[in-house]
Amino acid sequence: MALVQKLLNGTYILRKCPKASAAFCPSLSFRVADYCSSSLQKSGPAAKKGSWLRKSEGGLQGRHQEEVAVDLPSPEEKPEVSFDRAIEDEVKDHFKRLKDEIVNHWIGPEGRPLHEVMMEQAKVVWQFRGKEDLDKWVVTSDKTIGGRSEVFLKMGKNNQSALLYGTLSSEAPQDGESGRSGYCAMISRIPRGFFERKKTYDWSQFNTLYLRVRGDGRPWMVNIREDTDLIQRKNQMYSYFMFTRGGPYWQNIKIPFSKFFFSNQGRVRDVQHQLLLDKISSIGFTLADKVDGPFFLEIDFIGVFTDPAHTEEFAYENSPELSPRLFK
Amino acid sequence: MSWAQAALLARGLSRGWGGLCGAALRGAPFSQVAALALRGLHRSAAACSSDLSLVPSPPESQRRPVKVLEPHEELFKQAPGGERDKASFVRAVQCFGQQDVRRRGHVDFIYLALRKMREFGVQRDLAVYNLLLDVFPKEVFRPRNVFQRMFVHYPRQQECGVAVLEQMEQHGVMPDTQTEFLLTQIFGRRSYPMLKLVRMKLWLTRFKNVNPFPVPLHLPPDPVDLAKLGLRHMEPDLSARVTVYQMSLPSDPASPEEPAQPHIVGIQSPDQQAALARHNPARPIFVEGPFSLWLRDKCVYYHILRADLLPPEERDVEEVPEEWSLFYPMQLDLEYARSAWDDSEFDINEVEEGPIFAMCIAGAHDQATLAKWIQGLQETNPALARIPVVFRLAGSAGELLTSSGMEEPPPPRPESQEEEEVPQRQQQGQG
Repeated sequence: MALVQKLLNGTYILRKCPKASAAFCPSLSFRVADYCSSSLQKSGPAAKKGSWLRKSEGGLQGRHQEEVAVDLPSPEEKPEVSFDRAIEDEVKDHFKRLKDEIVNHWIGPEGRPLHEVMMEQAKVVWQFRGKEDLDKWVVTSDKTIGGRSEVFLKMGKNNQSALLYGTLSSEAPQDGESGRSGYCAMISRIPRGFFERKKTYDWSQFNTLYLRVRGDGRPWMVNIREDTDLIQRKNQMYSYFMFTRGGPYWQNIKIPFSKFFFSNQGRVRDVQHQLLLDKISSIGFTLADKVDGPFFLEIDFIGVFTDPAHTEEFAYENSPELSPRLFK
Repeated sequence: MSWAQAALLARGLSRGWGGLCGAALRGAPFSQVAALALRGLHRSAAACSSDLSLVPSPPESQRRPVKVLEPHEELFKQAPGGERDKASFVRAVQCFGQQDVRRRGHVDFIYLALRKMREFGVQRDLAVYNLLLDVFPKEVFRPRNVFQRMFVHYPRQQECGVAVLEQMEQHGVMPDTQTEFLLTQIFGRRSYPMLKLVRMKLWLTRFKNVNPFPVPLHLPPDPVDLAKLGLRHMEPDLSARVTVYQMSLPSDPASPEEPAQPHIVGIQSPDQQAALARHNPARPIFVEGPFSLWLRDKCVYYHILRADLLPPEERDVEEVPEEWSLFYPMQLDLEYARSAWDDSEFDINEVEEGPIFAMCIAGAHDQATLAKWIQGLQETNPALARIPVVFRLAGSAGELLTSSGMEEPPPPRPESQEEEEVPQRQQQGQG
């Protein structure tokens, strides 16, 4: 299935090559929509392919998108794209991943010796030290529902941190059903293994999330999703707030995982339970503070660590008034 | 087209059928049932179209100007002289209450009032929300028997009540006991507005004081006070001193060649002063900005005075000699880590940037204003007279506000070592 999708991707590139026609392949239009607000592409096996995708997307998004993807090929040089080549690269890439997985399994969890993993007290999960780190993230805004917010992600000027910037606009889309709007988000991609198998993060030995950021005084929301195959649970996540101080100084934010509250479809649930850390699929940052205007957030790295002083298991008690069944 | 008509007809029929069943259940006389069914048939199209508008749209603040006046909108138009404040809003709500004893159309009125609240500037006022809830007739919508309690009793009214509470939640207004009393009086204990109220009581209190960098709810209107607040907000050092270098003066109409004098407010901590005194005069320091800072819904722009990061060979580590204090050593080189599992450091090199010497918020973002700031700084920092100051200003703040990220991105952060993107760069050796 995954390979089929990849192949469709390949044909998509081929189609994009001579002339972009919007209504040519309706079955693929969802991919375009998917990429619409994202500034970055999946790290394809062939860098050329990736940059070409970026190029085509720059056409979709207007010229600002081109600014985000700096490593564009010049319009004169035509990247050679061939169907067989795409398949070959995909297959090679997947077998490489399979080999890595087998070798890593032989060495230990995550490809490191067991004792090292077990004794680890602090771990950097995401860092931003190069363009390839940005490929692990997706940015999205309410443009996908017809709003006007814009968000872009790029490397900072010193090439050592990620800069998430854009404009928030809470103007509701004129589609007749949406009453409110205005969000921008940055979501980490779900890590994929051999044959697009979903992989997860296991943070069960840590208890605190650590972020080194610099913002402009706006409040953000940190959302963590658990890995699940149930379609009913796909909108469930655990959230907490991240308040930026503003100003020129870097800020270290520590959020204990016990503070994260449970929500479904954007509504806080009555029955709360704590975040289970053994299968984390992604993390996201959302800005929706109803204040129109430009914003930025700079992220140095995101890590998890064990705070021995923090013993709280879960910060929110259930209310007998709201969920009496729990108290029977 | 015909299938659409058929669908409408079917829908109307089912409505009529539902009315029929409902009426039959209630044991109404048969003639009434027939009339109901007929009416269902006749108003099918109208029912369908009004169905859409009946769905209570959540309180919309920015609604397109509608040509036709909505019902009860004239109440809000009455205010003479265009004054739109709490008093006129309360007067409009009271007018509605006096119009009719039966409060006909109160749901529409409440939705309209919710949309109008921002216009009148009362969206954060708890008393006004209580007044709005008071518009509901009391004791009418309370379920009286098991069956009414089992199903949603008066759903439109309950949704309207929830919409009022939702708007309160959006603006961070905590309901009080009067709200609770009103809701029990109107809808009863077991109703959706009461459920919403309980949830609000639970969650709003949990998150009320969660911000570690609190900003006052009502920001000072004076830009100088706002600038002081913003500088204090940004500076983590509590011993830092805020200085007003220049108060804002409007341009004098008598002498038009004198431009308006913008305000300049700066902040500097003693540590920063000491660092600036130690700074090597051979290396320039930079005035950078403007960068944005959001205080609730207001945006102020600040500038910083900073130097580049020293190359590692020039950094001199400050050695504290052991002889300073024999009894209380200032420095201890003890190995505290017990073994490998005690290592709680992140395995990463954090982004390092040059030191920041001062920050300022000025009314204008041009170089002349900032040069005045530097001159003011020289009084407390004599070393600044020997150090060359380079202005790296990225456009004016007005552009930043209107650009919406298309023309030029919001100013990238000042951490660059490479400087090829600096738009204006003027060397200004002082002293």
